[in-house]
Amino acid sequence: MGDAIVGVVANPLSGRDIRRLVTQASVFPTAEKANMILRMLTAFEAVGVHRVLLGTDLGGISAAVFRALGRRRGQGGGWPEVDFLDGQPIRQTAQDTTDAVRRMVTAGARVIVCLGGDGTARVTAAAAGDVPMLALSTGTNNTFPAVREATIAGLAAGLVATGAVPPDGVVTRAKMLEARVGDRAEPALIDVAVSTERHVGTRAVWDPATLTQLFCAFAEPDAVGLSSILGQLSPVARHEPHGVTARLAVGAARQVLAPIAPGLVAPVGVGEIEPMRPGRVHPVDTPAGVIAVDGERELTFEPGEQPTVRLRADGPWCIDVPAVLAASARLGLLSHTGRRGQGNQGGTQRSLWRNL
Amino acid sequence: MTDTVEREALSREQLLSAYRMMRAIREFEERVHAEFATGGIPGFVHLYAGEEASAVGVCSNLDGRDTIASTHRGHGHCIAKGVNVGEMMAEIYGRRTGSCHGKGGSMHIADLSKGMLGANGIVGGGPPLICGTALAAKLKGTGGVSVAFFGDGASNQGTTLESMNLASVWNLPAIFVAENNGYAETTSSTWSVASDNIADRAAGFGMPGVVVDGFDFFAVHEAARAAVARARGGGGPTLLEMKFTRYYGHFEGDQQTYRAGEVEHARAELDCLKRFAARVRRTGELSQADLDAIDAEVGAMIDEAVDEAKAAPPPAEADLLTDVYVRY
Repeated sequence: MGDAIVGVVANPLSGRDIRRLVTQASVFPTAEKANMILRMLTAFEAVGVHRVLLGTDLGGISAAVFRALGRRRGQGGGWPEVDFLDGQPIRQTAQDTTDAVRRMVTAGARVIVCLGGDGTARVTAAAAGDVPMLALSTGTNNTFPAVREATIAGLAAGLVATGAVPPDGVVTRAKMLEARVGDRAEPALIDVAVSTERHVGTRAVWDPATLTQLFCAFAEPDAVGLSSILGQLSPVARHEPHGVTARLAVGAARQVLAPIAPGLVAPVGVGEIEPMRPGRVHPVDTPAGVIAVDGERELTFEPGEQPTVRLRADGPWCIDVPAVLAASARLGLLSHTGRRGQGNQGGTQRSLWRNL
Repeated sequence: MTDTVEREALSREQLLSAYRMMRAIREFEERVHAEFATGGIPGFVHLYAGEEASAVGVCSNLDGRDTIASTHRGHGHCIAKGVNVGEMMAEIYGRRTGSCHGKGGSMHIADLSKGMLGANGIVGGGPPLICGTALAAKLKGTGGVSVAFFGDGASNQGTTLESMNLASVWNLPAIFVAENNGYAETTSSTWSVASDNIADRAAGFGMPGVVVDGFDFFAVHEAARAAVARARGGGGPTLLEMKFTRYYGHFEGDQQTYRAGEVEHARAELDCLKRFAARVRRTGELSQADLDAIDAEVGAMIDEAVDEAKAAPPPAEADLLTDVYVRY
């Protein structure tokens, strides 16, 4: 199976922002993030991943995994080799995720799993290049990453990394948005919102009265976050080639009650709605403010800077977990019909079942 | 529908005030750093330089109804809550004109008329105090909010944890501000704080906990505004964790062999005053001339404070038995 390497990066600060205070958003404990990685290690080992690259942090996640590996040492088997990507300054910013993912790509990772919210997935996607990613939810707003059991995600990531499940049909390319202010550009996986706020501040967006424009790569009716505004009015699926944009105004005749953040269902006034075609450049017509990407204020702009937003078809390659495990079932990768100790006599030629 | 926090843009006056406060703290601390090296200041001093956005971002949301409790690193909190800078400097010099008549020194500056309950030499000493003032405000219906600033070391003290429990049980208008500058004296918080993010502990007490970029005035102000609104509205306590770096050692004279490079990085890349100035210039909310005028004004104020402190008399022998007991 060659170098079946998986990279895992976990954001120690995901699920810690002001939305705990203003919208009663959930808290995702550090210990659970570490436990999710340990459960993934078990899954990786089961399907033949032999090496895992783990990003390091000062938030206690990699330290907890390190301690667990130490306790496991000498007991034999169970987990693949884990290499900690240390030796590089830890800034406790998003740059740590970027640096770790780039090192994983350089080291030959075939899949990158990220644990975080939409913001973490966005940063991971920007650094992963053509390496498939699997985003697991441990953040605040979780539209892009899935809320999924880590063991199952680990099996899917491992089956793709080892090549046991071919990528066709199970690894698909997502759309993305690109917001640009002069020579500053930020990607977004779900939505770009224009706010009249002047400062980045705590980053989160929770006051719809400040929003003037919204651009969505996809807008699902059951989403949480800003894309839910258009998810109720003009849904666009992830697999559809186009996106959707709208003007927002408090006094607009059309109002939608939207779950714009966990714990916050707010009325939003929506004006003109139009589709977004890949490549077409959409101007931002608010004179000054902040552009939020995937729900977090990121790019400030001043009069005369004229920001733009465009939909791109070349977003990150993403692993479809249900599709991978369905393929695994079709191929009989996790099953056999022989007795224990007798190998894979009754299974398919490709089965990963190992003698116990 | 869920509670939302009404937000208005900061006015020009509020921005000028915030910069003036942060600059005053910085200049105060830089000057104490220099003066302490001459041997003219008795006792210990623990400097707040680098952490200004926390004190000012929080206290700029408070008013005369509100009280704060501080730490051994308390100069910034005192200034941000409105304590007279000249009296503070005199107190640090041990002069009769000081905030506490020269008997307390750096670690005991207090001014109840400003709602400043005191700097505190006891690590974790402030949180229990604000439970008392918050309970008083609640029972009297003043609308007052109480804030305890404490460090990452104090976050491990029983007093702090008991106070958070009590504040939650009594649903007090209290805000716990953990100023995580990375080290409890010389011990790294990444080693000594088991939950790693101090804010995570809030969940155990049934209150919200938020991690805030402590170098960013706008982030601190926004988070504190929401916490104050929650407290005033009867929503109960909140834990805010500021993450940043102190620019000087634990105390003046600390050789700081336990860290390298982070202060230089913070001063160059993260400094709250530089970031604030760059932002307001870029948005056009304040001009460089506005900021220069404040710098000059603050510089003169600190010069005057030091000159007056040096010229002031120490407490007299007859003062030994005054201010020992307080009648309530």
